[in-house]
Amino acid sequence: MVEFSLLELGELFVVVAIAGAVGARLGLSVIPLYVVGGTLASPFVAGRLGMPYVETGEALTLLAELGIVLLLFFLGLEFSLDRLLAARTNITRSGLIDISINLPIGVVIGLALGWSLVEALLLGGIVYISSSAIITKSLIDLGWIANAESEPILGTLVFEDLVIAVYLAVVTSLVIGGDGIGQVAQSLAVAFGFLGALLVAVQYGTRFFTDVLDVDAPEPFVLRTLGVLVPIAGFALSLGVSEAVAAFFIGMGFSTTEHRERIERRLLGIRDVFAAVFFFWIGVNTDPRLVVAVAVPLAITVVVTTPTKIVSGYYGGRVYDLPPKRSLRVGLGMVSRGEFSLVIAALAAGGTGRVMTEIIPAFAVGYVLVMSTLGTVLMGESDRLERLVFSQGTAEQVADG
Amino acid sequence: MTVYESDLPGVGKKHEIELGDGSRLVVVTHNTGKREVFRRPDAEADSEKLFELPDQLARQVGTILEGAYFQPVRTGDIETLLGGDTLIEWVDVPDDSPLAGTTLGDADLRQETGANVIVVQRGDVTITNPGGDTEIRAGDTLLAVGPRDACRTFQSLVTDE
Repeated sequence: MVEFSLLELGELFVVVAIAGAVGARLGLSVIPLYVVGGTLASPFVAGRLGMPYVETGEALTLLAELGIVLLLFFLGLEFSLDRLLAARTNITRSGLIDISINLPIGVVIGLALGWSLVEALLLGGIVYISSSAIITKSLIDLGWIANAESEPILGTLVFEDLVIAVYLAVVTSLVIGGDGIGQVAQSLAVAFGFLGALLVAVQYGTRFFTDVLDVDAPEPFVLRTLGVLVPIAGFALSLGVSEAVAAFFIGMGFSTTEHRERIERRLLGIRDVFAAVFFFWIGVNTDPRLVVAVAVPLAITVVVTTPTKIVSGYYGGRVYDLPPKRSLRVGLGMVSRGEFSLVIAALAAGGTGRVMTEIIPAFAVGYVLVMSTLGTVLMGESDRLERLVFSQGTAEQVADG
Repeated sequence: MTVYESDLPGVGKKHEIELGDGSRLVVVTHNTGKREVFRRPDAEADSEKLFELPDQLARQVGTILEGAYFQPVRTGDIETLLGGDTLIEWVDVPDDSPLAGTTLGDADLRQETGANVIVVQRGDVTITNPGGDTEIRAGDTLLAVGPRDACRTFQSLVTDE
């Protein structure tokens, strides 16, 4: 196997740059396009066509891992416990409606496909978690951000963000932990021990986080942030604990300091670069033939999990006292799945067995491609859908039906 | 007038201002500093985007709306209200200023007016915390801080109006 080279890295950046330009031109989200770009540049497509292709190797995987760490770090940075507590009744109620409908549906589909409980749980996560990145961008692009529906949508996303941190911690232990109950229990104990200690450090470490970044020059500022983030995430991973969750907690630690906005400004570019590498890496590892092979369960999952998100979102909107039309929009707004489904897929790829290493990643890629596009289209066509739904009868009938 | 403020996690903050005719002005301040301004005709309607401004421009426009760049009662200078009655005032030194050629110490502006010169701007050169021996030249811009009345006296002294 050829080692990942600078030339291949160059090809990577050319491809994601073109994908980004195509996305901007067509008004599509860039995340699925980066994945498609990766697939086109993979040994499975470009390689078979005799064109220069990008071989996935340890180096690329490492850069992609950095992408996951930075994605979750930013999530933690934006995540405020205070904010969650301030709006806890509404956020909790709409968040609980969301999770109690969408997570079990995914698990049931997984079990129906004959997968193990852990594999089904992975599918549950993939179909449960909406895409903060795609949805937030659509909200801004469509101007919904200034409307009442933005609050339940963003609030539910915040709830999901918290759930995903816990979920990743548990699932990482289950995937890496091995087979025996004892082994799983042990890795869960290590995970929660480490993350618990990290959470305490983050909670009482505001002083540390403030002091360590107390420097004016931009260069040491960026380097110190990475100097805290990357080693802790790496240490977590070496213990078999989710590096993504560790990164999320460190982000929360920095979010309580006065440096938060500066971190966001200074590190946004770095995050975008490595997040693009991550999505590309997902694509490179995807054999389109595998996606085609899972087309039938994929189609069934899309057909089932689109309405479930719309329904859970609708009731989420009702919790916020929105009128039925706007509540429907909340539902349509929650349909897009994206980056976190792919993070879960990447996690599954590190497991054992054909379902985890091949089927779930291919399934997730197909699912994210469909759901991100469908979600964006549904939001764009919401006016027409509202007329369609509400010309038939009253809101209550829709709610009941 | 009531202003409603709410958080937009991952985006920024939203302020809604009642305009009195049932409509609302909606200002979305992004974490990046960008401001988007919308108008919502009534509670049921969708917000219509009016315009968006980058951070710096939004601040300047805000200052104009605040009346700091231009106040109908006076012209020719810039002031910024610090809060309470204290202003920062920019005063250009005209060619025929009685103070041109003297030093800050000789002019003794603080004693005379109660306003304090904190910066002398001379072309590209910025003299911060100017001492008593700093010369005042025609074409300089003096930044003075002090109570509103003191700033008025200061300005008329410099421009000899």
